Amino acid sequence: MDITTSEVPPQYDEFRKSLQAFIGAHCPPLEWKARTGIRVPEEEHDVALLRQWARAIHDAGYVFDRFADTPGDPYEQRVLEEELGATGIPYVVGNALVAGAIKMFGTPEQRSAHIGPMSRGEQIWTQLFSEPNAGSDLASLQTKGRLDGDEYIINGQKVWSTWAQWADHGYLLARTEPSPGPGGITALILDMKSPGIEIRPLREMTGTTDFNEVFFDDVRVPVANVIGAPGEGWKVASASLATERGGVGRNLSWETVVRLADLARTTSRRGTSLGDDGSVRQQIAAFAARSRIQDHLGKRVETRAENQAVTAWDAPLMKIWFSELNLEMLEYGLDLQGPRSIVAEGDEAAYDDGFLQDAFLYARAWTIAGGSNEVMRNLISERGLGLPREPRGDA
Amino acid sequence: MNFDFDDDQQLLRESVRRFLDERYPLSVTREALEADVVLDRELWRRGAELGWTAMLIPEQHEGGSITSQPLVDLVVLAEELGRTLNPGPLVSTNVVADAIARFGLDEQRSTWLPRIARGEVIATWSLSAEGTPDLEAPGVDAVVSEGGVTLNGTARYVHEAVGAELVLATVRLDGKAACVLVPLPHDGVRVRRHTGLDLTRRFGEITFTGATVPADSVLGGAEVLERAISVATVIKSAEATGAAEILFERTVDYLRDRVQFGRTIGSYQAIKHRLADLLIEVEAMRTATYYAALAVDEGFEDAAEAVATAGSYVPEAFAHLTGESLQLHGGIGFTWEHDVHLFVRRSKSDEPLFGEPSWHRENLFEMLDAATLGESA
Repeated sequence: MDITTSEVPPQYDEFRKSLQAFIGAHCPPLEWKARTGIRVPEEEHDVALLRQWARAIHDAGYVFDRFADTPGDPYEQRVLEEELGATGIPYVVGNALVAGAIKMFGTPEQRSAHIGPMSRGEQIWTQLFSEPNAGSDLASLQTKGRLDGDEYIINGQKVWSTWAQWADHGYLLARTEPSPGPGGITALILDMKSPGIEIRPLREMTGTTDFNEVFFDDVRVPVANVIGAPGEGWKVASASLATERGGVGRNLSWETVVRLADLARTTSRRGTSLGDDGSVRQQIAAFAARSRIQDHLGKRVETRAENQAVTAWDAPLMKIWFSELNLEMLEYGLDLQGPRSIVAEGDEAAYDDGFLQDAFLYARAWTIAGGSNEVMRNLISERGLGLPREPRGDA
Repeated sequence: MNFDFDDDQQLLRESVRRFLDERYPLSVTREALEADVVLDRELWRRGAELGWTAMLIPEQHEGGSITSQPLVDLVVLAEELGRTLNPGPLVSTNVVADAIARFGLDEQRSTWLPRIARGEVIATWSLSAEGTPDLEAPGVDAVVSEGGVTLNGTARYVHEAVGAELVLATVRLDGKAACVLVPLPHDGVRVRRHTGLDLTRRFGEITFTGATVPADSVLGGAEVLERAISVATVIKSAEATGAAEILFERTVDYLRDRVQFGRTIGSYQAIKHRLADLLIEVEAMRTATYYAALAVDEGFEDAAEAVATAGSYVPEAFAHLTGESLQLHGGIGFTWEHDVHLFVRRSKSDEPLFGEPSWHRENLFEMLDAATLGESA
């Protein structure tokens, strides 16, 4: 048994130092307030700054594995992720999930037209998967693509598309083939400036606007924009969604544990610090244990991935574990504040400028997004344990 | 990255499982559920030949581990023994073997370790009269006397107390913790068997009334106790994980077969979702246990935290899982004939032993508090 991830060797100190100097000189000041989760700028000005930031990173010679044909030096990748991650500012603009799909299934033309520009911040992408009537049951999506010569004519509606309001391109799933379910779905590259596309920003319960609805009215897409082959869209999307589910929420829960410990120490009830209250100590420690176990579960999944032995329950398990722990912790974070929990961001009386209030609301996204936890439990029991599948109501 | 067992450890698992399946399955233990003695000493000795009590003993004293990570090796054994709800004192005997190997004198090592490794001697481990590791609890007091060290007081909830040939007693000496070896039987020591909730194990009470042992029987103080709790937590967690795993498998099998209202009850979403949660729980128990074993073996900086994590999470998850399993079995689960109650009994009586979950959580909070105090300032 060996889980040591080797330390970054000293010869990378120089690389790190020059990266730090680069960050100090170029990292943009944003209007945007740091919040939990996957958030999207509300000001065009911030979007322009983020594009410049991605460009600057690229021009300085830093290359991320997700955009490279062959993986780079693993230590350099680690240092890049550590240092750029520490800024709290996104270093990849938009939803870059499509990069993996294009690398795995795309044509050489598609690769050269998109991978480079994405890495330079020239192309912001959005994912056009979910629909109002195809959320958990994504394979039932109804957006149509009708073949007309060498073009598909797209009609329908998508929802929950992050970055769509700023996107240049869309990673679209549409039904182009006569068969129902997964077999009829094709993955397409969509130019978001095409005529017939309407984007309506969707304001969420957090009050911020991180998602959009996207409507298609006879939008024309060249057949050459198909990723993979017609009817292979489910395979293409599953490959990229699997990476998203596996990656959701890593390392986020420990930060919240630390926030709860801080909150308990600085909050009193009946003249006693909550940090000295036995029930509070027990509860926070229980969260801490679950957060540590999240790390360990991640290492088990990583081991199975390295041995090509990934199970059907790995990604759903990680998603359920993190999202439910996260939600419970944030609910508790408000409970600990007592009456003070009713004031939020912008009020001078708010604890930590309402970070936990916003995070509490946003926590509801993680238990739903990327496949609701109910669907995750179906996946575990049906594909993992081989129990009978839920019957379709329309079969 | 290989957060899994090596090939040699897999072989160990196979050989132990084969032995247990053929010679010492749960059905054998079932025959002695209501007897005074449940542990079959001859089978225990045979198990010792497979290394059950030898992993933490140096080779020169007839021990030896499979790999350079003896606690990880022990996890494999403990999971397998846990699957059969084996009655043996795997935790206590290994704790005592480890304490003698690490902290004992040469003479104590050569006297006891080969006999423990061979399974001839059952060594057990006692805490306070409340079964807890804290010094504030009433328990056994020791004073330095003319003949060495003299013990007075009672220790309870001691595994295999009746029948053990050796006890490592946790005592208070000069207001501090001390761990003292006492051979059994011994003048001034009485042993009484508890009537227990867990029918697959026997616990007992040890009363010391002026029992005097040589001064060098004191192996040490807090450092011995701390190490003992780490070792115990890892083994206990691994036994729990193995037991949880087999009960979960049996539960899924049952729900796949049982038909009501014209369909297998495992096809109902209300049931499937509960099983999904139990699968997650078993995975979490495993990873918490494996990580604790590895962290203690390798002396990771977060070893104490890993022990507290496993010690607080695993026993509660185990008890939750057995309760869910019983409920999902329905009426058959409430019968004496079905094994599920043995797992319920095991998990519930496992929970408070060798440091209860709330005790580990308090330790965890103290570590978290100390580690994060600086970050917030």
